[in-house]
Amino acid sequence: MTQKLYTWSILSLVLIFLIGPFFIIVAASFSAGDTLAFPPQGFSVKWILKVFTVESFQQSFVTSMILAIGGTLTALILGIPAAYAMSRYKLPGAEIVRFMVSMPIIVPGIIVGLALLRYFVIPLGISISLALFIAHTALVLPYAVRVVSASLNNLRSDMEEAAVLLGSSRAGAFFRVVLPNIRGGILAAFILGFVTSFNQVPVSLFLSGPGVRTLPIDMLGYMEIVFDPSIAALSSLLAFLSIGIVFAAERFLGFSRYV
Amino acid sequence: MSDATYLTLEKLTLAYGKTAAVENLDLSIHRGELLALLGPSGCGKTTTMRSIAGLMPVRSGKIVLDGRDITRVSANKREIGLVFQSYALFPHLTVFENVAFGLRLQGMSGAALTEKVEAGLKTVGLSDFAARKTPDLSGGQQQRVALARSLVMQPKVLMLDEPLSNLDARLRLEMRTELQRVQKESGVTMIFVTHDQVEALALADRIVVMRNGAIEQIGTPEEIYNQPASSFVADFVGFENITAVKDGMLVGPAGEVKASGPLPQAAGLAWRPRSIPLGSGPYKGTVRGVSYAGSSREYVLETPLGPVKAEVDAALPAYALGTELAFDLPPEAAAPLQKMD
Amino acid sequence: MFQNRTEALALALPAAVFAAVVFLVPVALLLSEGFKTADGWTIQAYIDFFSMPLNQAVFLRTLKLGLTVTLAAAVIGYAAAYAIVTLPASSKGKMIGLVVLPLMISPVARTYAWIVILGRTGIINQALSAVGLTDGPVRILFTETAVFIGLLQLFLPLMIISLISALENLPRDAVPAARVLGANWFQVFWKVILPLSREGLIVGGTLVFTGSLTAYITPAILGGSKVLMLETLLYQQVTVANNFVSASIIALILIAMSFAANILLRRIASARSAK
Repeated sequence: MTQKLYTWSILSLVLIFLIGPFFIIVAASFSAGDTLAFPPQGFSVKWILKVFTVESFQQSFVTSMILAIGGTLTALILGIPAAYAMSRYKLPGAEIVRFMVSMPIIVPGIIVGLALLRYFVIPLGISISLALFIAHTALVLPYAVRVVSASLNNLRSDMEEAAVLLGSSRAGAFFRVVLPNIRGGILAAFILGFVTSFNQVPVSLFLSGPGVRTLPIDMLGYMEIVFDPSIAALSSLLAFLSIGIVFAAERFLGFSRYV
Repeated sequence: MSDATYLTLEKLTLAYGKTAAVENLDLSIHRGELLALLGPSGCGKTTTMRSIAGLMPVRSGKIVLDGRDITRVSANKREIGLVFQSYALFPHLTVFENVAFGLRLQGMSGAALTEKVEAGLKTVGLSDFAARKTPDLSGGQQQRVALARSLVMQPKVLMLDEPLSNLDARLRLEMRTELQRVQKESGVTMIFVTHDQVEALALADRIVVMRNGAIEQIGTPEEIYNQPASSFVADFVGFENITAVKDGMLVGPAGEVKASGPLPQAAGLAWRPRSIPLGSGPYKGTVRGVSYAGSSREYVLETPLGPVKAEVDAALPAYALGTELAFDLPPEAAAPLQKMD
Repeated sequence: MFQNRTEALALALPAAVFAAVVFLVPVALLLSEGFKTADGWTIQAYIDFFSMPLNQAVFLRTLKLGLTVTLAAAVIGYAAAYAIVTLPASSKGKMIGLVVLPLMISPVARTYAWIVILGRTGIINQALSAVGLTDGPVRILFTETAVFIGLLQLFLPLMIISLISALENLPRDAVPAARVLGANWFQVFWKVILPLSREGLIVGGTLVFTGSLTAYITPAILGGSKVLMLETLLYQQVTVANNFVSASIIALILIAMSFAANILLRRIASARSAK
């Protein structure tokens, strides 16, 4: 009995601390008042509706979506072959390759952003958008390699040999046998990469210019100027979007197996 | 069975990095025979099999199949089938699609494909399972799918990696007869790799015993079982008492004794426990172990040669532990060995 | 295992070259700036950097917050993880889901909520004045406490998950056995639970520590310019002072600390898999 009491009181407190603030911003976004406050002054959906009318949000949302989807896809296109080489071949310098592709997870994002700005954007005239794209791809690459590697290592390599002995080329074996069996892992890597990229702030801090900024950076800027509940509304919307994606992925894929 | 050489390995050397797994191996395999590669793990049997399939690059030497040098031919163009130990079925495909995989790659489709796949499934008794996903099948059924998948390709050689090791005892017996039947019906040249001499003896037309990357002995099951060429093969097929022969002396692991009579020309002699009479004979030993096995009793004697194992009819009176006993090592019941370790 | 080296390199090189060109080279160039002067290579800039009281204070504050957040996360993490592993399987899965959930939400959103709670007219201040404890609003926002709370909320889930996997490997009856042998709860923790879950603690601790060191949003929103940490100082040095030498030094400190923590983590992970 005391055990049960302990368990539930601890867990309630921890969950209130972890998730409570989230409910507060959800509640605050339905406020009818003009400033951010809790408990909310009355009920309205005007702040939720306002989010959709702010032009910079629309722009930066599109930017963030393109970066998250495009960057993650690029990272997968680079990462899947690398993961395949590391799991199936005797790769010369495998440790170096592993180190290289896992670097972006170790080096703080703000430094990556600054380095790209200072040595790529300014001297080479590379556009901010391209630099953002490169930075987000690099950031997601370690996740892509890691999750795809895990799912390749769970797949027996004799299946590919069997396909080859049945007349398939090596590449054919990859597309006919390997790819269909690591689809779940690739999708998991995509979702993980998407969420990571979409929520990423430090990498994009220095990489913003006129008309080019990610949504979280735009939100940070907006917060400094305006103190109304629209940021709370936007935060709630984004949170529900993330939770919805992850929940669906778990439902249909068993997402947590791959992460 | 024709005696014409069908598949030849000439001076085959295979290596992982710097360590050679197989060195200078010569082997001829006849068309339509069922050959076993037998040996303990690490003897090079699996490596040899993989090199025949084209999954392992050849360091030096030649592989000739049906008159054509296939040493450098890539694995997907060799017309060699392999049933993997793990079966290596494609989990995302149905049983039907697994069997159809290779045929589709050959461009076959429609009624011709269906007919061939169904015939293949019928051969292995799985006609009713065509629509199932492979992970839902039992181990035995999975193996049959793998067999059918290779057979429908009509390979020149079909190889099987430890075909019975993943099955339970009852299924193993069933699969043994099944494999023999399929081989006789299709007439395919079959090579299988095993570490279990019982399997090799029961299944094969001919057995190749391998050790440390080289061939130790080639022979029919009877030859291997009754006339092992070396102490290694003798030990592998159940000769538990092995002595070397030197100047009329028998040399065991613990010491040597003078032979009671003339010995055959050989480097060593080997006896199965059944061939050792107890109670009379020129040699003396002490009973250190007895175990009852239904129709017989097995004894372990401590002797000047080292431990000697004897198996005696259980109807005979039992000897107690510690009894001192006379026993014989009759030269006429021994297998003469040409090579000793 | 395929043997063809050319194929292997062709598959792996695009990713490796991409990482090297867009990542390693610019970061290396940035780091070199801290050592480069007109007279050649020196560590003078580092000596200058650390002799400035502001920089010292920021460095120590970052280290202090990193350590205290890690410590607090460990204490709360153990309590929560132990409670979760003792749950029946069905509610355990759901509870782990709830703990992980915040990780999927944008850190901007998660940090923003604390403004509502800790601000001048926030929930805490409303509660305090309602009870009559305070006359005016207490300043919580833009203090180290606010940053501490924000970081703890951000990274606590990582610690809890790490500890759950460590505690799940605990022998089933270890704790009851120790209790039967007469140990009190403090002794049970110190002599049984802690030694058996050490690796989970180190993994979680490394994640929380490096996360806290390199967090930007939390100190930026909840600390502002009053409570600078290394990341916010770096941002300020670049945008306000245009001082790339300081930025380079801070970058090296952050990378060095992340690397040290990461190497430690790998060591432990490989020692575990070798067992």
